Amino acid sequence: MYKLFLTLRYLRKRRIAYFAIAAVMLCTAMVLIVMSVMGGFLDQLKSKARGLLGDIIIDNRSYSGFPLYEEFIADISAWPEVVKATPVLYSYGLLRFYDSPQTNTVRVVGLRLEDAYHVNAFKSSLYYERFYPGTTTLAEQQQPLLGFDLRSPPIDWRDERGEVMGQGPRPALPPPYQEALEQSWAAGVRDTESPETEYTTTMQAANLPPIAGIYGVVPGVGEPALMGEEQPGLIIGRDILAKRLPDGRYQRLWQYPRGCLVSLTLLPASEAGTLDTPVKPLLRYADDSRTGIYEIDSQHVYCDFDLLQKLLHMDTAERVDPETGTVIGTAPARCSQIQIKIREGANPRELARRLERHYHGLASDPRFQDQLSLNDIQLIHFIEGMTWEQSQAHIIAPVEKERQLVTILFGIISLVAAVLVLCILYMIVLQKTRDIGIIKAIGGSSAGVALIFITYGAACGVVGSAVGSLLGYYFVIYINDIQDWLTSLNPAWQVWDRSVYSFDAIPNTVRTGDIVAVVVAAILTSTLGSLAAAWRAGRMEPVEALRYE
Amino acid sequence: MSDALLIADGVHKTYDMGRSQLHVLRGCSLHVAGGEFVAIMGKSGSGKSTLLHILGALDVPQQGQVLFEGRPVFAPPKQRHFYAHALDVLSGYERRRIALRRRAFGFVFQFYHLLPELNVLENVLVARMVGASTCAWPAQRRPARKDTLAILEHVGLSDRLKHRPAELSGGERQRVAIARALVHKPRILFADEPTGNLDAVAGDELMALLKGLHAVGQTIVMVTHDPGIAARADRVLRLEAGVLREG
Ligand SMILES: Nc1ncnc2c1ncn2[C@@H]1O[C@H](COP(=O)(O)OP(=O)(O)OP(=O)(O)O)[C@@H](O)[C@H]1O
Ligand SMILES: [Mg+2]
Repeated sequence: MYKLFLTLRYLRKRRIAYFAIAAVMLCTAMVLIVMSVMGGFLDQLKSKARGLLGDIIIDNRSYSGFPLYEEFIADISAWPEVVKATPVLYSYGLLRFYDSPQTNTVRVVGLRLEDAYHVNAFKSSLYYERFYPGTTTLAEQQQPLLGFDLRSPPIDWRDERGEVMGQGPRPALPPPYQEALEQSWAAGVRDTESPETEYTTTMQAANLPPIAGIYGVVPGVGEPALMGEEQPGLIIGRDILAKRLPDGRYQRLWQYPRGCLVSLTLLPASEAGTLDTPVKPLLRYADDSRTGIYEIDSQHVYCDFDLLQKLLHMDTAERVDPETGTVIGTAPARCSQIQIKIREGANPRELARRLERHYHGLASDPRFQDQLSLNDIQLIHFIEGMTWEQSQAHIIAPVEKERQLVTILFGIISLVAAVLVLCILYMIVLQKTRDIGIIKAIGGSSAGVALIFITYGAACGVVGSAVGSLLGYYFVIYINDIQDWLTSLNPAWQVWDRSVYSFDAIPNTVRTGDIVAVVVAAILTSTLGSLAAAWRAGRMEPVEALRYE
Repeated sequence: MSDALLIADGVHKTYDMGRSQLHVLRGCSLHVAGGEFVAIMGKSGSGKSTLLHILGALDVPQQGQVLFEGRPVFAPPKQRHFYAHALDVLSGYERRRIALRRRAFGFVFQFYHLLPELNVLENVLVARMVGASTCAWPAQRRPARKDTLAILEHVGLSDRLKHRPAELSGGERQRVAIARALVHKPRILFADEPTGNLDAVAGDELMALLKGLHAVGQTIVMVTHDPGIAARADRVLRLEAGVLREG
C-alpha cells in the first residue's frame, strides 16, 4: 500500500517528474503524428493505385503481350464472380505536341474507354469529361474552337463593376461541347482545380459561368467551329502537359488547347519479341487524366485499344512462311493485360489463381490448337493472375517500407524519453536515498521500494502518453490548418509541397490501432527506463542508505 | 537463558576501507530479557549505532548471529551475499528480517530520519502501511489511523498532525520518530541517542516518556553516551574496544 501512496506523493512533490512526463508526451505525439501521416499517405496511395486497375489483373509482363484474350473474356464473362473484363495494351513511345520541339518518353496505354469506365475509376480521373460529360472519346475527332453564337440574339456585356457596356454575341463552343458544357453549368459543376484563364473575364463580361480548360479560338468574331482533319483521340497524363502549382492546382498552358495535334512514335513488337520499324501516328489531345500518383500522371498516355493494337502489329495477322512466302495460317491478336472487375464478396486472391489456371488451360484447348504458335503458347504460360495490390506492389511496397523505417527511426529517437525517465528517476533515487533507507528500516522490502520507482516510471508513461496522444491526435486533425498558418507566416515554411506530393492535403486521419500501439509502447519504455533506478533503490542496504549524506 | 527475547552472540562488524579495515565490533554478545530496559554506553565512534543497527536487523554482521525469540535473524555467514538483500523476497531469512522490522522491532534513529514529504500523521501512519498489502489496507486503514492518533496523543503531538518534519522542533521530531517506532506495537524498541540532540528539559521529558513505556512492559534497548541518562535504565552495558561489558 505504501508503494502507491508514496508514488503519488513523490510524483506530485517532484517538479522534475514533469520533465520526464513532458519528454514522454512529446515523443508519443511525435511518433503518433509520423505514423498517422505516413499511414494516411499509404492509404491514399493504395486507393489511387487501385483506381487505374481492376480488382484482378491478368498480365504476362511481356512487351509482346499474349493471345486469346477475347476468347478468355468470353469464357469468364459467364462466371458469376466476374462483373466485367477488358483488355489493355501497354507500350512505350515518344510524345510530341505538334509545333512543339519538346518530346516526352511515355508509357502508352491502349484501352476501351467505355469498358474502362466500368472496370475502374479511370473516368473520375479525367478533366474535360467532368465539365463536358460525354465528349471525351478516343475515336476520331476534330479540334473544337471557341467562337460566338451569331444566330441567337446578342446579350449584354458588362465591365468589371457589372455595368452594361453594350450588347455583344454570346461566346460558345461547337455543338456537342456546348450542350455538354451547359448541362454541367446547370448541374453547378465549376472548375476549382485550375487557375483562372482569359476566358474567365470574357465569360464574366458575357454574364456566363467560366469555361473550363483551354480551347483554341476562331479568328475574329466567328461561329464556333470544328477544325482540322479527324484524328483519333489521346488522353494524356496531366503532369505531362499542365504545370502543378504549389497550392495543388494545375495551370494549363495556352500551347496545349483541347483537340490539338500530338504525334506519338511507337515501336511495334512481333510475337517473337523482335522490334519492327517505328510508326508515328497523329492524334488529338482529347482529355487529360490525373490519378493522383505522380509516377503515372507524368508518364502515361491513353489511346484506343484497337488503334494501338493495329499500330503495334498485335492484331490478327496472316502468318507467312519465311522460306516459301506462302500464307500458312493466322496469328491471333494480342493484348498486354486484362483488367477484371469482380463481384463484391468474391475472394480476389483465390479468383486470381483460378483465372490464371483457366488461361493456362487455353494453351492446350483443342479449339485453338491450329491458331497458336510455339511463341504464343509460351506467352500464355507466362500469364499471371494478380490482385491489384500484388500488381501495384512496386509502388506501394516502397512507401510501406518507408513508413516502417520512419516509424522505427522515430521510435529510436523516442528512446530518448526512456533515457530521460531513467536519468530523472535515478536522480530522484540518489536524492531520496535516505528516504529509501527509512522506508526499508521501517519494513519496506527491496521489491516494494523498487516497485515505487517502477510505478513512478509507469505513471510518467501513462500520463505522458495520454497527454501526448491527445496532442498528437489534434495535431494530425488540424495538420493542414497548421501548415496553412505556417505558410501564411512564411511561404518557405511549407513542409508539404503540393507540387511535389501527389496529394493536395496532408493525410489527417488517426487510426485507433496506432494510438493504442504508441501508448502501450510509451508506457513500456518509460517503465523499462525506470528499471535501472528501481534496481539501485531496491538493492540499497537500509543502513547504507541512512548514512548517505 | 531461556527467557531472553533478544540474544546477540559474538557479533563482528568490519568496515572495509580499501587498504585498511576498521574492525568496529569484535565479538559483542548480549542478552535482553522481555520487559527489560537496557542502555548501551560508549565513546563517540565506538560502534554503538552499528551494534544497534545489527540488533535491530537493519545491518548485517560479518560474523556472529542475533537470535530473536530463539530464532536466528541472519542467514548463516556464508549465505550473507551482497545481493541477498536486493533479492530479499527470494530468501527466507531476508523475508523474516523484513517481517521483524515491520512487526517486532521499532527503531528510533539518532538523527530522527522522518520522511520530509509527509506530515506528522502520515510519517507515523506509513509504518503501518508497509505491513499491509494494497488489498488489505482499506480494512486496516481505520484501526491504523486510530492507533496513530492515539500514539501521537501519547507523545503529545495531537496539535501538530499536519506539520511537516521541517516545521517541527528537534524534540518534536524525536517524539514523532518514537511514535512511528511504536505505532505497530513492537516487541522491542531500539533508541539511538534519543536525547542526543535535546536540551536537558526536553531530554528529561523524553526519558519520562520512555520510562512510562517501560513501566507498561515495553522492552527497550537504548544507546547513549550520557551517564545520567543511562542511569535510568535497568542495566547498563559499555561498548569498549568493540566488546560489550557489563556495568
Ligand atoms: N559505512 C561505514 N563505512 C566505514 N566506516 C564506518 C561506516 N559506518 C560507521 N563507520 C565507522 O564505524 C565507527 C562506529 O560508528 P558508529 O556510528 O557505530 O559510532 P557511534 O558509537 O554510534 O558514535 P556516536 O556516538 O558518535 O554516534 C566509526 O568510527 C565510523 O567511522
Ligand atoms: Mg551513533
